Amino acid sequence: MERRIKQIMADVLDLNPKSVDDSTCQDRVASWDSLNHIQLVLALEQEFAVSFEVGEIEAMLSYPDIKHVLERKLGE
Amino acid sequence: MTASLETGSDARAAFLGATQAGDTYHAMHAARELLRQGRGDHHLSFLRRELDKATTWSPPLVPLKVALLSSFSIEFAEPALVVHGFLNGLAMKIHRGGFGQFRQQILDRASQLYAFEPDVVILAVEGADWVPALYHRFCGQADADVEAGVKQVCEEAHALLQTLRGRSAATVLLHNFAPPVRRQLGILDGQAGRGQAQWVYHLNESLAAVCREAPGVYLVDYAGLVVRFGAETWYDERMRLYARAPVAADKWGHLAVEYMKYCRAVRGLTKKCVVVDLDNTLWGGVLGEDGPHGIRLGSEYPGSAYRAFQQELLNLTRRGVLLAIASKNNVADVDEVFAQNTNMVLKREHFSSLQIHWQPKTESLPQIARQLNIGLEHVVFIDDNPVECEEVSRALPMVKVICLPQQPERFVDALLEDGLFDALALSAEDSRRGELYRQRDQAEGLRAESGSLEEFNRSLGMEVTIAPVTKASLARAAQLTQKTNQFNVTTVRYTEAELVERMRSAEWLLATVGVRDRFGDNGIVGLLMARPDRAALDIDTLLLSCRVIGRSVETAMLAFVCAQAGRRGLSEVRGRIVPTAKNVPVRELFAQHGFTQAANGDSGETSWSLSLAGGGVTWPDWMRVTVVDGNAAPEA
Repeated sequence: MERRIKQIMADVLDLNPKSVDDSTCQDRVASWDSLNHIQLVLALEQEFAVSFEVGEIEAMLSYPDIKHVLERKLGE
Repeated sequence: MTASLETGSDARAAFLGATQAGDTYHAMHAARELLRQGRGDHHLSFLRRELDKATTWSPPLVPLKVALLSSFSIEFAEPALVVHGFLNGLAMKIHRGGFGQFRQQILDRASQLYAFEPDVVILAVEGADWVPALYHRFCGQADADVEAGVKQVCEEAHALLQTLRGRSAATVLLHNFAPPVRRQLGILDGQAGRGQAQWVYHLNESLAAVCREAPGVYLVDYAGLVVRFGAETWYDERMRLYARAPVAADKWGHLAVEYMKYCRAVRGLTKKCVVVDLDNTLWGGVLGEDGPHGIRLGSEYPGSAYRAFQQELLNLTRRGVLLAIASKNNVADVDEVFAQNTNMVLKREHFSSLQIHWQPKTESLPQIARQLNIGLEHVVFIDDNPVECEEVSRALPMVKVICLPQQPERFVDALLEDGLFDALALSAEDSRRGELYRQRDQAEGLRAESGSLEEFNRSLGMEVTIAPVTKASLARAAQLTQKTNQFNVTTVRYTEAELVERMRSAEWLLATVGVRDRFGDNGIVGLLMARPDRAALDIDTLLLSCRVIGRSVETAMLAFVCAQAGRRGLSEVRGRIVPTAKNVPVRELFAQHGFTQAANGDSGETSWSLSLAGGGVTWPDWMRVTVVDGNAAPEA
């Protein structure tokens, strides 16, 4: 799962997948604007066949947060 | 799911390699493969970004500038639009007006929209944003008030389109409106004098009328698109409210594909010919084994599915698409099916070219293209055999290959889903094209019989009519500039809107050329555009449909230009040849008619001139030429 998340973040945010780690968060990535945030969320939804609530979308502001929300979602 | 990322890595690597090498066809192939494996949006983001970085392509892409004006966050359609544009050979440049700013962008003469100089302007407005009276505010209003609301929207649309048209020659695509998913009258909506849905359809009819009246403006049937996918899956209410992005994530791509149908048509990329295989394509089973009566074709499944597919192919011929066969079979067996199997919807005469033998299809297709005088990039090849599909894709990458799915009931979708044959206009010529090609074949037969070329031309009994471009012939004139590749001196594509601008100007000479011969009426087959430049009449466009190439109609066209130049008191006629891969047949045009070559332009372009002191080009006496006089200006 981690590799898939990193690949999607890399594609949407124009990063090297290898550079995505626990420190990757919205404040530190210039290309992570509000538009790309939605693109990222939608791409994750498609890849993992889930649907996020708005509260979850607003909480997915870093790589660890995304992983956390997804793990909870997929564990449900 | 995991597979989409892992297997995708091969396609990605192939795509990156081809992109760096500027290899258009391999990059397209890899991109298609990537999208086939995983529909995820992030693949589109990846492809779009890499396409933005790419600089040169071979063969080159056709540039297209698209402006998106919308009442919602249409940027989510952008990656798909760029990627699908690329897959269709277009280099897309996109300008996006701020959301909800569509009026300001059109009305402000100094807006970025006009600075961008778009080729296509897409006006994508949701009904609820433009006509709230028909949506959330519907209940409790008097009919008269709703009617007034509808009228106001149509008037505003008309005014905006007029303004836009006055400042830009771009093709304009205007969305119509989808009815609301939930109706405020509930189960009464369908039966009420006018329920919400009926009002929206009424508005759509009025908008269509507005678009019909405005040259170069086309309605995007958004309501139809939503119906096709189902409103429940089309929308994402959460994203509508949270991000002003009302369309579901996986549907933005379908919206982009819909726009692409128009973009392709604007750039002359509409397909002209379908080449089909026979066994397990037009019928179920193998003719050589099952015999002409044993193949599956008829009223029961699976025969009914093959009949439905044949019917759609027949319908395409009525839109001007040519049909041909490339099949490995015995000719005698196939003749027997045409002669005896009454379940065949398609008859022998519906096919303009047949290649039935045991040679590879990679040889049959170029043969068909030559015979029909069309380029391979206008050919669609349909086969059920993945090996033959792959063979054709590799050897002839410019051919669009449709590899049929296993189930025959899915053939019709495979044929029609991408709108490969969609055109911006349907002319009287289109519905008769197959017949026109048969006439041409008869004329070719005559050429073989008669001795000299002049004798042949005389025997055709040609009647040529040269007439100003009118409102009635406008669509055909634009279509000719978009579709003609071989006998075309400059190969500049024009939209209806651009032609209208020229029709309004007194200095432009615009003329269509119609040809009749003893085999029938070919309709409008040529176009001429010229304007004075100092003492010369300068030919901007001179083109002839391939149906009438080689019959010296061009001599009559040049004689007409000379006569017009004389009437305008000019002393010279000038022309240019801009060489393309296709226009070899036109290269000698000016040389053959006594023009002298002036200085060479850049990139192989040649300039030619003919002084009228020597009498100009004389009218050919082996045809009857009628020149229709008149003012070319259209009604406003």
